[in-house]
This record gives sequence, structure tokens and C-alpha cells, in this order.
Amino acid sequence: MNVEAYISSGILESYAQGELSEQERLEVENNLRAYPELRKELSMIEDVQEALLQKAAQQPRASVKLDLFAKIDAGLPVTKVVPLPVTTTSATNWKLAVAAAVTIALISSYLAYDYRDKWIKTQGSLTQLIAQNQRVAQDYNQVNQRLNQLETDLNILNNPAFERIVMTGRPNTPNALASVYWNKSSQEVYLSIQDMKTLTAEKQYQLWAIIDGKPVDAGVFDGSFTGLLKMKNITSGASTFAVTIEPKGGSKTPSLETMQVAGNVIKG
Amino acid sequence: MIALKAKDRSALEYLYDHYAGAMLGVISRIIKKEELAEEILQDVFLKVWDKIGSYDQTKGRLFTWMLNIARNQAIDKTRSKEFSKDKKTGDIDNFVDRINTEGFVEQRVEVIGLLQLLKELPDDQRFIIDQHYLKGYTQAEISEEFNLPLGTVKTRMRLAMKVLRKLLVE
Repeated sequence: MNVEAYISSGILESYAQGELSEQERLEVENNLRAYPELRKELSMIEDVQEALLQKAAQQPRASVKLDLFAKIDAGLPVTKVVPLPVTTTSATNWKLAVAAAVTIALISSYLAYDYRDKWIKTQGSLTQLIAQNQRVAQDYNQVNQRLNQLETDLNILNNPAFERIVMTGRPNTPNALASVYWNKSSQEVYLSIQDMKTLTAEKQYQLWAIIDGKPVDAGVFDGSFTGLLKMKNITSGASTFAVTIEPKGGSKTPSLETMQVAGNVIKG
Repeated sequence: MIALKAKDRSALEYLYDHYAGAMLGVISRIIKKEELAEEILQDVFLKVWDKIGSYDQTKGRLFTWMLNIARNQAIDKTRSKEFSKDKKTGDIDNFVDRINTEGFVEQRVEVIGLLQLLKELPDDQRFIIDQHYLKGYTQAEISEEFNLPLGTVKTRMRLAMKVLRKLLVE
């Protein structure tokens, strides 16, 4: 073979560029084995081609590499699996049956486990929901009671038979403020606190009505309620209501020096 | 090479770091869409990883072997149903533009350097190299498209490669 002419034909370039037919390619490969000059020439062509293409390179985004190697890593164990040698057909069938049985068993176990897991989770959620429901019911009852209380209070406030006596602070308690709602005909007395300081556990407030210059006990209370508090009935004739601080349970006569608030009944 | 045949992951990584750019260049001259081209690039490396056992050093360089896989994968894609017909990247100006706008400064310098280099070639030879290596046409396609006898394309290719050998390699 004329090696020079062969090279000059440009067939090695076409070979390096992958443009030859299967037959031509095999022929070139045979010649490459036979003529070392051809291999040398091909290697030069490949050098040029590689240099050209490296210069015309276009770098892929970094994510392409990450993705590719993730795929390769995921595929690694698969390539290492050695296929089982096939023996006789019956043995293969038997193996298939075992494989199927094992697969079904595995799937079933998994499903059983999965359902048990789901069931336990559901139980937990149910208990939680029941507890939550009870809490909501309790809250509802409380709110309902409070609403009833407010409705009752509102009825009293709206009832024209009730007279409001505002009790203001004394010189040593300038900020204290409370009100008495008094129904002269039914003799009912309700108290509401706007601003009274909290007392120690041994002390209580005591409401007094002054009738004909004499203090009459109208009941004791703590400073910590909201809304209206029903006190003892007071017969008509009271001119003043006042609150003093007394030992817990109240006193027979008021300690006037501890007077917190007082207010006069408007003569009508 | 031995490491690669032994399925050493780091050998493939080395290969990727050195050849992925050149391969994507080849692919994207055939497949314009960047994402699709990158997808094919992945397929190429997966195939290389898979078929490395069948690579025969006596038949040529690993680069050449990979180049042919890349080109074939890309051409196969153009023949697949999903692929729309606009396959070529347009002319070299577009190629430079595209790289420019995408901000591959380093690569742009390389391509400009390459274009400078190709100016050393006679016009008819530069045309062949440009069409083949920068636009992705096969010699047969160049012959058909520009009404040149295949023998002429081959001879010019051969001569151009000889000149470039002096410029690029020696």
C-alpha cells in the first residue's frame, strides 16, 4: 500500500471525525495495526482536532456535573451486580417463584409496618383531638357563664330602679373608685370595682351603709372580682355608702381610719 | 486510563473536568438549546462510564472516541421525534455573540484566539474548518450544502489540518 497516498486522501481525518462507513472504518483500523506511520499521522490529526475543539469549548453549568455524578453514584451498585448464571429452565422457574415470594413477603411486611405506623399515628391524633375538644368545651362553658353573668349585670345596670352611687377615693387613696347599685324598693345592693388595690390575705374590704348616722354592715369582698357583686340588702334610708379595710371576715363596727372610698346617695 | 476502566469515579471526574467543555461545544453546535445540549452531555458521560470497557486504545485517542459518542448522541437527538428542526447554530458571529452575551469571557477570548489563528489559513481551507469544527457540519454535509465534490472537501480538510498542526501543536 502506498502510505503517502493513503494519508493524502484525507481518510484519516474522516476517520478521526467519525465520518466513515462501518466498512471503511474497519479497513482503516486494520491499516492502523499494519502501518505504524499511519498511527503516527492519526495521532497528529487527533492532536490538532483536540486542540481546535478545546479552544471552541463551551463550559457546562456547574449543576450539570453535580447532576451527572449524582446519577453515576446512584447507578454504581447496579453496574456491580453480577447476573445469576442461568441453569435449567425448571431451576430458573423455581428461582423466579422464590424471588416472587420473597418480593411479595417484603412488600407485605413493608405495607403491614406502614399501616401499623399510620394506625399508631392516627390513635395519637385522635387522643389529641379528644383532649382538644374537651378543652374547647370547657372554654365554651366558661365563656357562657361569663356571658350570663354579663347579661345579669347589664340588666341591673339598665334597670332604672337601681340607683348608682359612685364612691370616690379619700385623701390617702385618691385613685380608688367603686360604685354601688342600690334598688331602694327591693333593697338589693350590687357593687362594682373600678379601681381598688389588692389586699393581703388577712384583710378584706367591707362595705358599709350609713343609715341615720350609723354604719350598717353590707358585706365583705376581695378586691379581685370583675362585674357586679351582690352584697347584703340595705333598707331604704341609707345616706352614704363607704368601704373600709377590715380583718378577714369583717368587723361589727368600721375602722374609719381605713376608709378607702365613700359616696353619698343623691336625695330624690 | 486503567483507573477509568476499573470504574474509578475520580478518573471520570478528571475526564469530565478536562473534556466536558469541548464535548458541550461539539454538542451545542448540533443542538442549539442549552438545556438539551447539557442533557446530551450527561448522556455522553454516562455512556462513556458504561462503555469504557469497549474502548480500544489502538483505534484512536480517548478524546476522539468520546467526540464520536458526543456527535452521535447529538445527531440521534436531532432525528428523534421530539426535536424541532432548527439544529445548526448559525454562523460564527452568532456563536461569538452568544458566548459573549452569556458572559463566558474566558471562552470568548479562546474563540477569538481561534478565529485569529484560522486567519492563517487560505480562505477555502478556513471555510472547511469553520464549517466542520465551529458549525458542526460533517464533510458530507459541507459537500452537499455548498456543492463541493466530497474529494475536494477532504483534500482541503487534509491541507488545513496540516497547517493547523504547525500552528496549534508544534
